[in-house]
Amino acid sequence: MDRNQLMKWIKAPTKMAHKYSLNAVYFCTGCGVIEVPPTITSRWDAERFGVVPTATARQANLFLITGYVSVKTLRAIIRTYEQMPEPKYTVGFGSCTINGGMYWDSYNTINQLDKYIPIDGYIAGCMPRPEAIFVAVTHLWTLIDKDMADGYKRYRKNYAAYRANQEMILGEMEWPPIFQTEVATAITEREG
Amino acid sequence: MSLGLLLIVAFGGSLLTYLLGKVSARTRDAFAVLISLALVVMVASLYGKAFRVPFYGGFLGMPLVLRIDGLSWLFAIAASVLGCLSVVFSLGYMKGKERTSFYYSMLLLVIAAMLGVVLSGDLLSLFIFWEIMSWSTFLLISYNGGPALAAGMKYFVMSFVGSLAMLAGVLTLHGSFGTLEFTGVAAGMSSASPGYVLAILVLFGVAFGTKNAIWPFHAWLPPAHSEAPSPFSAVLSGILIKMGVYGFLLLMFVIVGLRTFLSLGVGRIEFHTVLSIIGAITILLPTFIAIFQNDAKRLLAWSTVAQAGYIILGISFGTSLSVAGGMFHFLNHAVFKALLFMVVGAVEYRTNGVRDLDSLGGLIKRMPVTFIVAVIGVCGLIGVPLTNGFVSKWLIYKTLILERSPFLAFAALFGTWGTILYSYKFLHNIFLGQLPQRYEDMERAPFTMLLPMTILSVVVVLFGVLPGIPLAVIDTIGVSFGFESLHVTPWGIASDTGALNTVNMLVAALVGLVVVWCVFRSGARSVSVGQADSYAAGAAVPRDKYQYSVRFYAPLRRMMAPYLKDFVDSFYMRLAGWVRGLGDGLRRIYTGYVGDYVMYILVFLAVLIFVQIAWSPW
Amino acid sequence: MRILWFVLSPLMALAVGLFFLGLSRRFMARIQWRVGPPLYQPLIDILRQFTQKSVSHGPLFDLGVVLSLASSFIVVLFMPLGGTAPLSSSGGLLAVLYLMLLGPLGIALSGGEAANPNVSIGISRKLILAVGYEVPFLMIVLALMTYYGTISIGEIVAAQRESASAIASFPLVFSGIAYLLILPAMLGVRPFEVVGAAQEISSGPAAEYGGPYLALATIQHGLTMFIGISLFVNLLWGGASNPVVFFLKMLVVFAFGFWVNAAFPRLRVEQAVRYLWRWPTLIAFVGLILVATIGR
Repeated sequence: MDRNQLMKWIKAPTKMAHKYSLNAVYFCTGCGVIEVPPTITSRWDAERFGVVPTATARQANLFLITGYVSVKTLRAIIRTYEQMPEPKYTVGFGSCTINGGMYWDSYNTINQLDKYIPIDGYIAGCMPRPEAIFVAVTHLWTLIDKDMADGYKRYRKNYAAYRANQEMILGEMEWPPIFQTEVATAITEREG
Repeated sequence: MSLGLLLIVAFGGSLLTYLLGKVSARTRDAFAVLISLALVVMVASLYGKAFRVPFYGGFLGMPLVLRIDGLSWLFAIAASVLGCLSVVFSLGYMKGKERTSFYYSMLLLVIAAMLGVVLSGDLLSLFIFWEIMSWSTFLLISYNGGPALAAGMKYFVMSFVGSLAMLAGVLTLHGSFGTLEFTGVAAGMSSASPGYVLAILVLFGVAFGTKNAIWPFHAWLPPAHSEAPSPFSAVLSGILIKMGVYGFLLLMFVIVGLRTFLSLGVGRIEFHTVLSIIGAITILLPTFIAIFQNDAKRLLAWSTVAQAGYIILGISFGTSLSVAGGMFHFLNHAVFKALLFMVVGAVEYRTNGVRDLDSLGGLIKRMPVTFIVAVIGVCGLIGVPLTNGFVSKWLIYKTLILERSPFLAFAALFGTWGTILYSYKFLHNIFLGQLPQRYEDMERAPFTMLLPMTILSVVVVLFGVLPGIPLAVIDTIGVSFGFESLHVTPWGIASDTGALNTVNMLVAALVGLVVVWCVFRSGARSVSVGQADSYAAGAAVPRDKYQYSVRFYAPLRRMMAPYLKDFVDSFYMRLAGWVRGLGDGLRRIYTGYVGDYVMYILVFLAVLIFVQIAWSPW
Repeated sequence: MRILWFVLSPLMALAVGLFFLGLSRRFMARIQWRVGPPLYQPLIDILRQFTQKSVSHGPLFDLGVVLSLASSFIVVLFMPLGGTAPLSSSGGLLAVLYLMLLGPLGIALSGGEAANPNVSIGISRKLILAVGYEVPFLMIVLALMTYYGTISIGEIVAAQRESASAIASFPLVFSGIAYLLILPAMLGVRPFEVVGAAQEISSGPAAEYGGPYLALATIQHGLTMFIGISLFVNLLWGGASNPVVFFLKMLVVFAFGFWVNAAFPRLRVEQAVRYLWRWPTLIAFVGLILVATIGR
C-alpha cells in the first residue's frame, strides 16, 4: 500500500471499503456468465481485489449483468437490484446490455438495459474476456473515488420514470413501488 | 389460619360456583376468581408455620389429620397460584363455551383436592383427596368429548391402577403399624426390614409415578394434556402431575427417611440409582418424541414427560444439591410449562382452535406480547442462563458430575439439546415465518389471558436472576430432610467448586447487549420492510406458499423415526386390546339373551342325564 | 488485573476471530493455487457492510443478531485466554455450554422473523447438526469434568499445568481425538458447511442479512471459530501461561481445521449426523467409559 493509498484510507475509509469489497450477486442472466467462473477461480482469482460472489442480493453491492436480458429475466433483475442494499453498483457485461447486441431484433429480449435499471458502466464485446472484468473493476474504483458511480441515486431520483418503463414492458408488476412516488403522474408527464 | 377453614373454603367455593352459575354467569366468574385469590392469600399467610390438626375423630379408630410444613407449603402455594392464574385465564378462554359452570366448579375442585393432598397429615386422608383429584381431573380432561373422552379414559384407567397400588400400600402399612399418620408410620418404618420398605416404595411408587408420568407409566399424559382445555392443561402439566413429585418426596424423605432410602437395594443394585436411571430414560425418550410432534399441545405434553424426568432424576439421586435442584425444577417447570400451555391457549382462542404446527406461522406480527412471553417461557424450558430453568438444571448437572455419574449427566445435558430443537420448532412454527393471509386481521390476545402469562413470565426471569428467593425455602425443606445446607445467597450458591453467580452474568449480559447494540446502531440505518419483501431469488414472494414449517426436522426424522416408537404405549394398547378380546370372547357366551341361557342349562342337564344313564364312573 | 481482562479478552477474541477469518480465506486461496485477498479483507468487508443501508424485518430481527453477538462475547469472558477468566466463578463450563447455544439461537430467532424459508431451512439444518456434534462434545466435556472433578475451566487448565495436558494423558487421549474429529463441525467449515450452503439455500440463516446485520453475523462467525478453538486449547491442550503462547496453540488447531476444510466436499446433513454419531461418538464414549471406570 503506497502513501497515496494510505491517505485515501484515512480521508474516506467508507468509500475505500466500498471500493475494495465488491461483492457480486450470483445472478446468471445470459451466455456471458461463462466468463465468470474463470474470473473467480484460480486462473484469474478476482478475490485478490475483494471481488467475490455472494449468494443473496442482500449481501451484495455489485450487480454484474452478464449478457442478453430476456423479458422474463428482467423481472428478476429488477427485483434483485431493488433488494440490494445501498450503495450498490451495476455493470453491464457484453454488447447485449448496451443495445441488444446480436439479439437486437429478438421478440423477447430488451435492447437497452439502462432504461429499466441504472447502469454505472459497461463492458463492451461479445464475449468480453475475464481481463475485461478486471479493467471494469478498476474503472469502477475510479468512478467510486470520484463519486460518479451514483446509479442508485439516479434510481431513487428518477424512480417514477424507471418504474413506468418497467411496467411498460412487464405489464403489471407483483410488488408495489419501493419508493413513494406517483407512477401514474410520471407516465402522464412523459406522454403529455 | 386453620387448615380446616382453608379446605372448607376451597371445596365449598367449588360447589357454590356451580350453584351461582345457575343464577348469573358474571357473578360466577367473579366468585371463582375471588375464591381462587382467597386461597392464594390464605396459603401465603401460612408461610413458615408447621403444625398439625386432627379434623375428624374416628375413622376406623384413627383420627384424620391435616398438617403443614415447608414441603406442603411449597406445593400448596404453587397449586393455589397456578390455579388462580388458570381461573383468570379461563375467563377469556371459556367465553361462549357450553357447560362453563361445570368447568369452573371442577377446576376449583381440582385445586381444592390438590390442596387437600398436600395438607393431609395421614395416608388415609391423602388417599381420599388423591381420589377426589383423580376423578375431577378425569371429568375435566374429557370436557371436550370425542377424542378427549378416550384420552380421559386412558388417564382414568392408568390412574386407577395407581390408586389400587396405593390402596394396597396404605392397607399394608395399616396392617403392620396400626396407624396411618406420617410421623407414626415413619417411626415404624425406621425399624422395618429393607424388603418391606422396598415393597412399600414400589407400591406407592407406582401410584406416584403414574401421576407424575415417569417412564413407563407416561402413556396417559400426551393425549390427556393435548385434549384437555388449555387453561386446565396448564394446571395439569404445571402442578397436578407434580403431586406425584410431592408423593415421592414425602415417601422418600419423610416416611422412609433419607438414610434408609439411600441404602435400600437388592444386592449391589441400589433402589435410588434405579430410580435415577428411570428418570434419565424419562428425559431422553420423550424429548426426542416431542421433536417430531405436529400438535403444539402434544409437543408440550411430551416435553412435560421429559421435564418430569429431570425432577425424578434430581430427587432420587439423593444429594443435597440434586434434591434442591429437583424441587426447584418442579417449581420452575410449573411456572414455564403453565405459561407455554397458556400461550397455546391464547393462540387457539384467536385462531378458532388451530394448534396444528404445520398450518400456523408469522403470528408475531399479530400477537407480539404473546410471542415475548412465549420466548421467555421457552428460554426457561431450555434453561438459558438468567432464566429459572438454568439454575435448577445447573444444580442437577453439577451434582451428577461431581458425584461421578457422567452417564446420567449426559442424559440430562443431551435432553437439553433435544429441548432446544422442539422449543425452536414450537416458536418458529407458531410465531415466525410468513403470516398466512387468513390471520391477517387477527386481534391480540385479550387482557385476561395476557395478565396471567405476563405474571408467569416475570416469575421466570425473577427466579432466574435471583434464584435465592425460592432456593431459601427449598433449602429449609432440604435441611428438614436431613441434608446439609446449600449456603444460599440471593443470586446463587456459594460452594467450593464452581460457584454460581447470576448477578455477574446479568451484568455481563447487559453490558454486552448495550455495547453491541450501540455498535450496531452506529452503522447505517436500515429501512423497515414487510414480509412481502423477502429474498426469493428475484421473484416476488408467493403468498401463503413461502414458509418452511411442515416436517421441520425431516432429515433427523428420517434417521431417528424407526427408533422412536413409543413401545410402552403400544404395549398398553395391545394389553387393552387383549382385555377387550377377552371380553368379546366372553360376550359370545353371555349373549344376554334368555333363550341362550335356557339352552345352556338344558344342554348341561342333558349332559348330566346322559352321563348318569349311559356311563356311570361313580 | 481481573478488570483489565474484562476489556482485554473480548478485544483479543475480536481481533483473533477476524484474523482467523482473513487467514482462512488466504489459506484456502493458497491451497487452491491462488493469491487470495489481503489478510485484512474481512475488516474491509465489515466496514463496507456496516455502511450499507439494509432492510429490517422487525424489532426481533435486530435484537436477535445483537443478542447472538453479545452472547458470544460473554462466552469469551468465561474463557481463560492465557490468563485468568474474568467470569470464572459464575457457573463454569456448564454455563459456557448453555451460553454457546445463545449464539445460534439469537440468529435463529432473528432469521425466523425474516420470514424466509431459506433461513428456516438453514436453521433447521444448524440445529440438527448441533444435535449431531453435541453427542460426542458432551461426552468429551463430561469426561474432562469427571476426570478433573470440577466444572470450572480455570481449574481444568490449572490441573493440566501440574501434570500433562489432557490430550497427552491416558484416558483423555480418546476425548482429544474425538474433539479433533468434531472440530470442523463445531466451526461450521466444510465438510459440515451445510448450514450456510450458499449454492443451495442462499447462505441459509444469513440469507436476509445485509448491511450492519451481515457485519455483526460475520463477527459472530469469527467469534464462534475463536470459541471452538480456544475451548480445545483450554480443555485438552493445557491452556497457556500467556496470551501469545495461547494464540500460537490456537493457530495450530486452526490450521488443522482448515486443512480439513480445503480437502473435503460438503456432506448432506444426514450424512454429517451419521458420521458424527459413529466414529467421534464411539471414541468419545470409550474415553468416557475409561474415565468413569478407571478415573484419575
